[in-house]
Amino acid sequence: MKIASHDSAKLRRGRHPEQVILFSVAQQTFAIAAESVQELRSTDSLGGATEELAHEGIPKVRHTFERNHRTYYVVNACLHFGLPVTRPTLVLILRQMRVAVLVDRIERMAEIPAVHPLPLAFSGEERRWYRGLAYLDDHVIPVIAPPGFLKREEFQLLDRASKQSATQREMEGAIQG
Amino acid sequence: MTAANRTSDGSFVLMQLGTRRFALPSDIVAELAPPVRLHSFPHSAPLLAGVIVRRGHVVPVYDVAPILLGRSASQHRFYLIALRDFGKVSEPSAIPVDGECELASAEIQPPDAGQPAYVSGRLTLGGESVDVLDLEALVLSQSFGTGKTDRTEALS
Repeated sequence: MKIASHDSAKLRRGRHPEQVILFSVAQQTFAIAAESVQELRSTDSLGGATEELAHEGIPKVRHTFERNHRTYYVVNACLHFGLPVTRPTLVLILRQMRVAVLVDRIERMAEIPAVHPLPLAFSGEERRWYRGLAYLDDHVIPVIAPPGFLKREEFQLLDRASKQSATQREMEGAIQG
Repeated sequence: MTAANRTSDGSFVLMQLGTRRFALPSDIVAELAPPVRLHSFPHSAPLLAGVIVRRGHVVPVYDVAPILLGRSASQHRFYLIALRDFGKVSEPSAIPVDGECELASAEIQPPDAGQPAYVSGRLTLGGESVDVLDLEALVLSQSFGTGKTDRTEALS
């Protein structure tokens, strides 16, 4: 049987270069399209503006914050991807989605030549998590699909829990006042 | 032609896993690749160890040793690239193996009684009995969605 030699050729499928932000969570590197991210903040700077929120069915969300009269949900990326829980230092606030993502650190900006489809063998939740895979500097890096952070049903559950929580805070404030 | 409707016409690729050898129909085997870097990322498929980049393609790696041997193989030396069907699409799939592979021709016998569904037959080669694997049944023999997460590692 033929044993082929080592092949270091770059992936050759259709190329649509795009700018991405490379970030890491629990030693794992991910890429997200730069245009999907509205803002990067430290967790410290966001701390005072957040409210706690607990929904037992969605443990990856523990905090919310208000922006432009909209409630944003803070997703812990470690819990989202099933990685060991770390102490995140940064928040990626996404564009066009009421989601902010807790991450460990930003590695750098990069241009990826293409996003390659996730192999069909990956048939679970990862198909929702990733747009595909990027091949950059001899590394295969999953490219995040921002809508994968929270499903529509999860938004509905969180919106309901958030409203209840706000009502409760108002009542407690009224009693104390 | 898809991997499922190919016929092996008695030709098989023998692969070494640990101390045992298993056979795959030669028609679904594309090549034996060197031990290039394994790239891992979070996912929920229990059998998948990650991906390798081979000939410009991202190829998923199936760690079948725990099923076939009851434990992970210690040191993979090569990747056997076989085709797996997804409807009308065939996708290259990499199986880490522990040694060089061998092409063999033999008449396939029915599997021994009580063999798992992924054993589609048996070859008798000299004094050795070699199980013929049904790749599709093998990869489906593990239930998906156990929340497994792999950590980045390299095999080289």
